[in-house]
Amino acid sequence: MGLIIVAIKILLLVALLMQIPPLMIWVERRGPALMQRRRGPNRVGLFKWRLWGLLQSLADAIKLIFKEEIVPAGAHRQLFQLAPLLGVIPAFLVAAAIPFGQPLEIFSMTVPLSIVQLDVGFLYILAISSLGVYSIAVAGWASNSKYSLLGSLRAAAQMISYEIPLGLSLIPVVLIYGTLDLNSIVVAQHDVWGIFKAPLSFIIFLVCMFAETNRAPFDMAEGEAELVAGFHTEYGSTKFAAFFLAEYVVMFVLSCLAATLFFGGWQLPLVTHEWLVANWGAIVAALLGIGSLLAKATFFMWLFVWVRWTLPRFRYDRLMALGWKFLLPLGLVNILVTALLLTVGW
Amino acid sequence: MIEPLIFYSLATLIILSSIMVISARSAVISALFLVLDLFLLACLYASLNAHFVAVIQLLVYAGAILVLFLFVIMLLNVDPKSGQRQITFGGVTLCAVAVLVFLTISYHLLPTMTTELDTSKLGTDNTYRVAILLFTKYLWPFELASILILLAMVASVIIARKPS
Repeated sequence: MGLIIVAIKILLLVALLMQIPPLMIWVERRGPALMQRRRGPNRVGLFKWRLWGLLQSLADAIKLIFKEEIVPAGAHRQLFQLAPLLGVIPAFLVAAAIPFGQPLEIFSMTVPLSIVQLDVGFLYILAISSLGVYSIAVAGWASNSKYSLLGSLRAAAQMISYEIPLGLSLIPVVLIYGTLDLNSIVVAQHDVWGIFKAPLSFIIFLVCMFAETNRAPFDMAEGEAELVAGFHTEYGSTKFAAFFLAEYVVMFVLSCLAATLFFGGWQLPLVTHEWLVANWGAIVAALLGIGSLLAKATFFMWLFVWVRWTLPRFRYDRLMALGWKFLLPLGLVNILVTALLLTVGW
Repeated sequence: MIEPLIFYSLATLIILSSIMVISARSAVISALFLVLDLFLLACLYASLNAHFVAVIQLLVYAGAILVLFLFVIMLLNVDPKSGQRQITFGGVTLCAVAVLVFLTISYHLLPTMTTELDTSKLGTDNTYRVAILLFTKYLWPFELASILILLAMVASVIIARKPS
């Protein structure tokens, strides 16, 4: 019985995650169109309904799936085909640890609203998401193309550099809440959101989030003006789509993590979870909680697009200097100050 | 029933990938098998309820150190055909020493090993327990190790620096 519930939860989560890339690609085209006062894709719909061009992404996905698979000459065939998978698998694995709500009492069973409950859920997310870098590194090397290799080397250096301030920025959160369990962190934010307790952590986390996902203004891995398309220059068809899938799922997971750690996760503002359960029932409370988390994550997803079309790309040495010479010391000072404040009982 | 199955399949995969690490012709392939090896090792820790150690294993070794390995190999662009396989005196000696060490350790350890390991006794609060041990009993070795690593880092920066 427990196994069936886990299987259902995995299916639901995968179904949710698979919706994100098509939706995000649509937002990523209509968003800048809105900002630049042009239309963007608005034609592809169903029969006579245009649906604001929502089905454009579906059409693109079908196009990508039916394209010819090409492995460039001189490429390492197995690794070339393995690389997109190396990105997709960690992206989906990470999502397993996100808490979507308090354990739900349903049909005389307690169903936790995340796929795995780990007492180290927090570190699990960091650990598995750090494996995503292999996808980019392997893709660049296996392509046998200088643009791909340069793009992947840049990306690998960038991702391991920004993992350190990312980890450091989260230590104050652990210090404040005294646990590595993500759901306990959310429960502890029932009155005050984490961002008010650790504002500096949030700022560092936000910057590192953009760097970790290789998004503009830190999209050095692609850098289309310099590197054609970076690590996925040689990729086409389904494998190209897989890179997109991985990128958007990682963005979503990090958005959820930001919401969970700094914006109360599945907690609703103003009302407590207990009040909702007592008045409206556990199922409504759980659904509202999931909605709350998704709404917060949606904001961060929009922020990714917003920033991409607002800020120009960093120069590579500036990016490294920002990570190592500014964010790293700032993160260390942040830990020290938080620890001191907690010791004096502030 | 299922736990021995998981353990033995993981153990077999770990040994197989370790063999691939030392037998692969290309340095990149070898490094990637090392990643797989460390990942499976983390799975093994996780199956023993040592979640904290498993996650740290992934975070530090698979997620950071091996990326640097791969990075350096790719940057130097080691030619896979340059390494010719030949039997040397040093290689044979090394293998002999390794086998000897393995046999000695097995001889001393095997009688003391029990097949029954009660993982339920280990509990799930092992982050807390590791922290308590690190910051009380092993405080000085822990801090000294961090200074040692810092010294090594400064030294390597000084060696690598170009004379201006």
